[in-house]
Amino acid sequence: MDVLDSLLLGLESALQPEILLYCFFGVFLGTFIGVLPGIGPLAAISLLLPITYHIEPTAAIVMLAGVYYGAEYGGSTASILLNLPGTAANAVTCLDGHPMAKQGRAGVALFMTTIASLGGGLTGVMALVLFSPVIVEIGLKFGPAEYFALMVLGLVSASTLASGSPAKGMAMVVFGLLLGTVGTDVNSGIPRFDFGITEMMDGISLVGLAMGLFGISEIINSITLKRDKKITEKITMRSMMPTKKDAKDSALPIVRGAGIGSFFGSLPGTGAAIASFISYAVEKRTAKDPTRFGKGAIEGITAPEAANNAAAQTAFIPTLTLGIPGSATMAIMLGALIIHGIQPGPLLMSEQPALFWGLIVSFFIGNIMLVILNIPLIGMWVSILNIPYRILYPAILLFIMMGVYSVNNNTFDIYVVALIGIFGYAMSLLRFEAAPLLLGFILGPLMEENLKRALLLSRGDMGTFIERPISMWLLIIAFAILAWSLFSALRSFLRRRTLAKEQAQHG
Amino acid sequence: MKNRDTRDLLGGIALIAIGIFAAVHAQQYDIGELRRMGPGYFPTALGILLAILGVFIAIPALFREGTRIKIEWKSLFWVMLSIVIFAVFLNMLGLIITAILMVLASSMASDLTWPGRLILSGCVAVITYVIFGFGLGMLIPIWPWSP
Repeated sequence: MDVLDSLLLGLESALQPEILLYCFFGVFLGTFIGVLPGIGPLAAISLLLPITYHIEPTAAIVMLAGVYYGAEYGGSTASILLNLPGTAANAVTCLDGHPMAKQGRAGVALFMTTIASLGGGLTGVMALVLFSPVIVEIGLKFGPAEYFALMVLGLVSASTLASGSPAKGMAMVVFGLLLGTVGTDVNSGIPRFDFGITEMMDGISLVGLAMGLFGISEIINSITLKRDKKITEKITMRSMMPTKKDAKDSALPIVRGAGIGSFFGSLPGTGAAIASFISYAVEKRTAKDPTRFGKGAIEGITAPEAANNAAAQTAFIPTLTLGIPGSATMAIMLGALIIHGIQPGPLLMSEQPALFWGLIVSFFIGNIMLVILNIPLIGMWVSILNIPYRILYPAILLFIMMGVYSVNNNTFDIYVVALIGIFGYAMSLLRFEAAPLLLGFILGPLMEENLKRALLLSRGDMGTFIERPISMWLLIIAFAILAWSLFSALRSFLRRRTLAKEQAQHG
Repeated sequence: MKNRDTRDLLGGIALIAIGIFAAVHAQQYDIGELRRMGPGYFPTALGILLAILGVFIAIPALFREGTRIKIEWKSLFWVMLSIVIFAVFLNMLGLIITAILMVLASSMASDLTWPGRLILSGCVAVITYVIFGFGLGMLIPIWPWSP
């Protein structure tokens, strides 16, 4: 069977010692980043990007991917023990994970979330294996109009389904697109928005933007955050053993979570975080006694953890098969692929099968490695969590500077990052999301290119986007998502108005 | 509690300003027409769209209550200063000294004690050298007298 042959090819590629080493390094680093609150996989992958220049492409991507899905394993640790999410997708795990820790069941919580993560991760890899060929088939029929429509769908879902008002999310996406136009236009050779500065002709650096928006502003915000007291519980192997009831109660939630995660992870614009929120909501709704949630219900941690790990794997589907990143982190991963001379898209599977399938097999191997890292070695991660933030952040800041400098060996980049950092902090104060901006920034040049080409082919006829069936359907879905989010925003606005009126009458 | 949502108001106004600036600035590039888009087309369209979105964000904010914005001036100042120190002194003083200065500056934002700060800067400078200079082989001057 075709798929089996491909998997064998991938296995051959993935079992080479160099690949295995970088896979381990990636998942180890990913768990570390995930465990640490305040720095997430996005920042880590952006930082590692320049470092991967010296490594062979397959190994580099395997490592970066390992950081990504590894973080979703480790992220639950801080959520459970400190009530601080390790990554955005683990925020939901705090709700029931921390109460479980307070009840003395931290070990069980940590164990079950690792198992859930494994279940979700493996499901995601399977979805990746099964659905990639199908999507590649469809992708081969894609013309510029379809790519443009898909990117519109991705950006619309990213901006509206994330937290905050849809208008603010869309504004961030548009702003990101605009920032993407800075630099030399590929078609005409004219530098845009360079303001006469030579260094601006290459545009704003991706690493600098990511670091400034996420890394620096995150640090500024986190220095004064109050942290809980030290973790005093000892997590032994014995304390991690779940009861039969725990296992039985978690089985279906893990399956549901993995399914939800696989679906939402592969949609452009939605990712692990949204998948975990939806999974939690579904569990609460399907539980016989919803009042248990928020007080240590095991379904409240196993389902979201399965979801976010499944989503982390299936996020690679649109990235690898169509070349469209589904989230800001995937966008950076895409950047990494391109830097290494790999062109993601429908042709990748046929032109570079060893890389494609080797990567997928490495996901499988990585998930196994992660279970070993997260269960026996859990004590190590707990002790790392006890390092005070005020010792960590100066080091993180210095590493960020080193990472940015290493791209061009130019101190101009550092000043740019400083400016972006101030801007990023202002954005976080004004409650504007940075992830849609980054996604728009990376997709901007691609979108413009495809828009131009589509209109060139149709001789200026905008109707081409609606006349071509795939493009039409993508735009209809995008419009539907937009309409739905506007509708629910309107509904909550009206609800607030009536609540205020009632308060005024009774108050 | 103010009777305006200051965050969205400021944000919206900023977006309007940026959008208009972008659209106006892009006029100097060839706009072209739909079938042959010039370099100025996309930025102009985006700038206008951004300004419109800014209006949609700012107007409702006038009628909505918001919470106070709290700026962490101390953190902001020291972090920014440490970044500038890095940029200014890296080539002049080399990695080790710059790293020490930078860590000292950024640690001023926290309540770490002075002995702690000094130890931290020393350790981090050494670790950074080991990882980046030695381990990854980055071309970076280590001392003031390095090339």
